[in-house]
Amino acid sequence: MFKGISLLLVLFSVLFLTVIVIGATGISDKILNGIIQDRLRAIRQQLSREIQNPEDLERALERIKEDLIRSYGLDKPWYIRMPDMIWRILMLDLGNSRTVRSFSGSNKISDIILERMPNTILLMVTVLIINFILSLVVGVKAATKPGSILDRFVSVYSAVSYALPSWWLGILMILVFAFYIKIFPFGGMYSTPPPTDPFMRSIDLIWHLCLPVLTLTIATSGSWIYITRSIVITTAQEDFVTTARAKGLPERLVLWRYIIRVAAPPILTNLILGLAFYLGGAILTETVFTWPGMGLLYFEAIMSVDEALILALTYIFTLIYIIARFILEILYVLVDPRVRYA
Amino acid sequence: MVLLEIKDLKLYYKTMRGLLKAVDNIRLSLNKGETLGLVGESGCGKSSTAIAIMRLLPRNVGLFEGKIMFNGINLMDLSESEFREKIRWKKISMVFQGAMNSLNPVLKVGFQVAEPLILHQNMDKKEALKKAREMFKLVGLPPDFVDRYPHELSGGMKQRVVIAMALILNPEIVILDEPTSALDVSIQAQITNLLKNLKKELEVSMIFITHDIALASDMCDKIGVMYAGQIVELSSSENILLSPKHPYTQKLIASVPLLREEKMPEFIPGAPPDLVNPPKGCRFYPRCPYAERELEEKEPPLVEIEEDHFVKCWLYSG
Amino acid sequence: MSKYLRNTFSDFWASKVSKIGVFFLFIVITVSIYTLITFPLDYGVRYWNNPKYWVDNPKAAMPQWVNSFLGGGLLDHQIISTSVPQRSYPSGIYYMKFYEHVFDLKVDQFPTFLTLKLEKLVYYSSRTPTIKLFVTRPDNKTIELYRLVAEAPLPDEHPPYVRYAEEPKRILLSGETQLSYFLSEFLLKEYHVTFEPSEVTKIGYEKVIFGELYEDNFRPLKGKYIFTVLLHTLDSRDQIGKTTIIIGGQIYGFMGTDILGRDLSQGLLFGFPVALLIGFITSVLTTVIGASLGIIGGYIGGRLDDAIQRISDIMNNLPQLPLLIFLTFIFGGKLWVIVTVLVAFGWSTLVIVVRSMILQIKSSSLIEAAISLGASKWRIMAKHIFPQVAPYILSQMIFYTPSAILSEAALSFLGLGDPSIPTWGQILEYGFRNGAVFLGYWWWILPPGLLIVFSAVTFVFIALGLEPVVNPKLKRWR
Repeated sequence: MFKGISLLLVLFSVLFLTVIVIGATGISDKILNGIIQDRLRAIRQQLSREIQNPEDLERALERIKEDLIRSYGLDKPWYIRMPDMIWRILMLDLGNSRTVRSFSGSNKISDIILERMPNTILLMVTVLIINFILSLVVGVKAATKPGSILDRFVSVYSAVSYALPSWWLGILMILVFAFYIKIFPFGGMYSTPPPTDPFMRSIDLIWHLCLPVLTLTIATSGSWIYITRSIVITTAQEDFVTTARAKGLPERLVLWRYIIRVAAPPILTNLILGLAFYLGGAILTETVFTWPGMGLLYFEAIMSVDEALILALTYIFTLIYIIARFILEILYVLVDPRVRYA
Repeated sequence: MVLLEIKDLKLYYKTMRGLLKAVDNIRLSLNKGETLGLVGESGCGKSSTAIAIMRLLPRNVGLFEGKIMFNGINLMDLSESEFREKIRWKKISMVFQGAMNSLNPVLKVGFQVAEPLILHQNMDKKEALKKAREMFKLVGLPPDFVDRYPHELSGGMKQRVVIAMALILNPEIVILDEPTSALDVSIQAQITNLLKNLKKELEVSMIFITHDIALASDMCDKIGVMYAGQIVELSSSENILLSPKHPYTQKLIASVPLLREEKMPEFIPGAPPDLVNPPKGCRFYPRCPYAERELEEKEPPLVEIEEDHFVKCWLYSG
Repeated sequence: MSKYLRNTFSDFWASKVSKIGVFFLFIVITVSIYTLITFPLDYGVRYWNNPKYWVDNPKAAMPQWVNSFLGGGLLDHQIISTSVPQRSYPSGIYYMKFYEHVFDLKVDQFPTFLTLKLEKLVYYSSRTPTIKLFVTRPDNKTIELYRLVAEAPLPDEHPPYVRYAEEPKRILLSGETQLSYFLSEFLLKEYHVTFEPSEVTKIGYEKVIFGELYEDNFRPLKGKYIFTVLLHTLDSRDQIGKTTIIIGGQIYGFMGTDILGRDLSQGLLFGFPVALLIGFITSVLTTVIGASLGIIGGYIGGRLDDAIQRISDIMNNLPQLPLLIFLTFIFGGKLWVIVTVLVAFGWSTLVIVVRSMILQIKSSSLIEAAISLGASKWRIMAKHIFPQVAPYILSQMIFYTPSAILSEAALSFLGLGDPSIPTWGQILEYGFRNGAVFLGYWWWILPPGLLIVFSAVTFVFIALGLEPVVNPKLKRWR
């Protein structure tokens, strides 16, 4: 409960800070002016068909412009506009993008984001599942035989993968597998043109998914596996594990019920802490592989200085992060009874 | 009727410095319905003896040999799976040192007590939990505590749970390793009483490991005094208490503070020997007030000086 | 105290990882010092981002040592200059000065481009001199390639007239239409084949100049080529300060070049001190702030502690990279901005851990004794508390360094880095943006990444080596 409140506080403060920063540096003025200009242009086109006299046209447009300025609040300084902006974003009224269009041609940021989000989620969830399985299999195996070759390999692998930039690894992968060995595509989510048959389409998707997933997995699994291994080793030395064996439980049961289940909460905590990494990883990996998700969108927005889109995406990213943290905290409470009544 | 007979038991551990001779050739016997106390300082090998009997050997075992006769079978002849199926927890169970850590923190205590039933007797969960409730009543816990988690229980309660857990399969022998050391004195008394009651009601034989000789004399019928991995004296608790023969036993008795006497408790000078390189002869030699130079090299045998009273000392072996 | 240090050091030195880490660090520091001494501090702005400086280099050329692996079949980039005419003699009223450049084509490759560079033309005669470029091929055929008349004197100028002094005259022959006519003529005369000038342009001048026609194809003609710059003038005092012929090769330098012709070895070298600086400053600042707040909050407690806790809790819950990107984008990608943002996100994790350590230490009898002796709060914190947490703080500082390096590299890769300084991330960004991946320019892609990993791994290893010192439980018995 308490955690939930503090997370919401985070969201608010981020939003707050973002808007302040944008306002104080004058960018929000630019955005709104830009929006007004766009609308004026559209209106001008319409009106010029109706009003033939150029002087009348200009006068009419001036009046409309003043109305617009007033309605967007540009006649007042930014700190008065702020609450309204915050409210709008909170209500997910994210406005329009200046430079990007959704695949269906819409300018609305919410449409664009909604289109891209599943792609990012597909990528992230796949990597998450693989990491989870890997850490259970490899991490636990290494923990049950500390000092073995596998265990030492795990330590070295984690150290190296920590120092390895995931985006450079991605570039390397493309160079090796797409350019030299020519076995995987250079990027993107589907081939152009994408196959029409749904089965072939899924195969095409999986084929395109391989390199980004491989890259992200190599870059992030290191710490997962190492954390799992360390915590499992510590847990396995606890007295209740010996007691469990004394009670005659078969080794597999001891492993699952007494070691892994007990190690789950601290492992989960560490994963929560590493979640932020994932978001960053999404942005970088999607950029390298031209994967049409929110990460690439963020990159494109920055490159083309599309302020409205940047603001919206920063907020959405933070929101997703908060939600994910929230879910993990709930999971944690479910898994560790010691926390339940605290 | 002799239930358990241990002869020439050795358990050595492999360490960085060499072989640690934790249990070095001991002999013990336990009769049905008896409580045998195993007394000694920390590091003398009492817990290792328990581990040896329960065959819960760690990874770094160097040597494990000897005879452990239980109901006529040498337990050392059994394979690990045979031992696990037939003996461990079913016939011989254990209450470990530090009950606080013997319980899995994420499982309900009732389930942990019922687990052996589900596992070994193929009972279904409901049935097993019912039995657990009965066992809880027996050890003095309210039956609906079965739904609690370990962190919701006090130290004394946890100890009772662990005792219930050890008794659930109705074993013939229960080994208790310092069951009261981590508890405060009033709870200690409760647990001691509980154990005495259980002994009477269930007719279970116990091996009671402790460093507190006074406690042992209260609880146990027979006491074995261990020093540096060896049994140095073994007899009934009266004999041990009232006519201790081995100098170490004597010093142990003398170190207990007495409530009504003015005498200061004595302490034993020196420290226990290094079990990687123990003294070649009598291991107590460096601290023994009766030590004589010539006896340094040779190890005294364990001899029966009177009926059921064994001592390992040159003072009694010519 | 010194015994404690000695023990600490021997614990640290015991593991193999520490030794490797320190060795790597030594390399990094040495290279950084070397770079800072050899290159000016404004190297980035003055040279790296100045395309004119790199104009004479081949674009996207592989490193020179590749040649030995590929059997020596690649053409080395050559810059041939001369300042003194080989021959000079009068010819009627004129004077001729021949500046010669010898180029030996030893491999079966065509040069990628051809450039003529003229520096410091000084002439005295009122009639402007003419400059011509000829090449004599190994098959003794001579081609006129280029003709140029120097700029006439301005009305207010007096002899001697100086041209191409501040800025050399650079003629990219590969792009001059003059050559298409000369070469078309040459082909007609020597091989009796007709190639329109436009066709010649399509084929590529280098193929014609350096090749022989063989069954509709041009094959590289190996052997000695003599490029002559002829200064045709009225006054014998006229001269060209330096003439240069640049033969575009496929390999260049120690690490090759990028698409702008920049010598990658220089850019890569410069990345060392930058990485070291960023890593060091960021981690030191983060650690100092985080540890101080943790100690102060943990020890003094009360509302100050609550405030510190609240703030660090909020900061801990922030997603780092998106906000990092956002802030860098808003405030610009200058170095101090990046450092500030990294520090701002980093200190909060340290505060929480340090604080809990302090809480434990606070209740120890050592502190009780110190308080009862009348020591002030600050003295206790400095003298009694800090030394106990110092090893942990130190190891965290070292552990934080690679993440600072990696974060900066990531930001640069996204194009948000400091453009005035070449960093490894930036080199990769430029490469990625220009399709180096899709064109297989491995020498552009592999080294910067490897160096990032190398410098990060250095600190990871040292931090791993420090772990047993900090956490005695992990010490291995020797």
